[in-house]
Amino acid sequence: MFLINCPYCGERDQSEFSAGGEAHIIRPKQPTELSDDQWAEFLFMRKNIKGVQLERWNHAHGCRKWFNMVRDTSNDKIHAVYKMGEKPPIK
Amino acid sequence: MLNYNSPINDQKEYSEIRITEVEPIIKLNLRGKKRDFMTKIGKELSIIPPSDPNSSSGNEKFNILWLSPDEWMLYSNDKSDLNNTNLLEEKLFNEVSKSKIGSITNVSDHWTMLNIKGKNTFDLLSTGCPFNFNDFKNTKGAVAQTLVNHIDVIIHNKDLNNLNLFVRRSFANHLWSWLNDSSRFF
Repeated sequence: MFLINCPYCGERDQSEFSAGGEAHIIRPKQPTELSDDQWAEFLFMRKNIKGVQLERWNHAHGCRKWFNMVRDTSNDKIHAVYKMGEKPPIK
Repeated sequence: MLNYNSPINDQKEYSEIRITEVEPIIKLNLRGKKRDFMTKIGKELSIIPPSDPNSSSGNEKFNILWLSPDEWMLYSNDKSDLNNTNLLEEKLFNEVSKSKIGSITNVSDHWTMLNIKGKNTFDLLSTGCPFNFNDFKNTKGAVAQTLVNHIDVIIHNKDLNNLNLFVRRSFANHLWSWLNDSSRFF
């Protein structure tokens, strides 16, 4: 269990949120021109790294807004939280 | 509003806790981002939807609760008659939804409102809620959307140890049972 600082509501318990996977994956502009392998690559393949990762989260039981988070997956330390459409504050 | 059929229609009293279902009252969901939306709502109801997170605004008749940066819930203080509900909804719908500056949805039957009063109110909620009530309980008009016993709720702090809790109608009976069971420990 850990606390997440929702950019809209403030600090809340993790149980109010749901994780939406890796962030900043760009959707191909012409999906019809892709091969099955390329489409599967976009749709399913994720880095799933042990360490600092950029993720999407949703405050599902609060304001229901999506936002991004920089989280260390090895120890759940949250380095930054930023709104959708904003650039990650750290790389 | 359709034929309102209360799932609970009861009130219970325990040691320093009193739980009552308040019905029927008007509940409207307001959504909009444009400045015109705020102006129209303010003009029609004489209340501006709050822009500060976790807050509310109100007058003698209505309260508007902040739910998200572009979403609010309006509810009436008084028990309403069906005609008033329809008139208010129609008026706001014509002014806001039809002119496409936002949306108005009647959620009177979607949410059940429980009033919880008494010194042990926050102790009771804390037994099944991850939310930190330390600041909340001293802030009149504060709003929180959280989980109580894994059930989504909206909590509006009316006054000292007096709050209104909104729960989805389909979960109302379950939460009511849990609140009654948990209240017996105090």
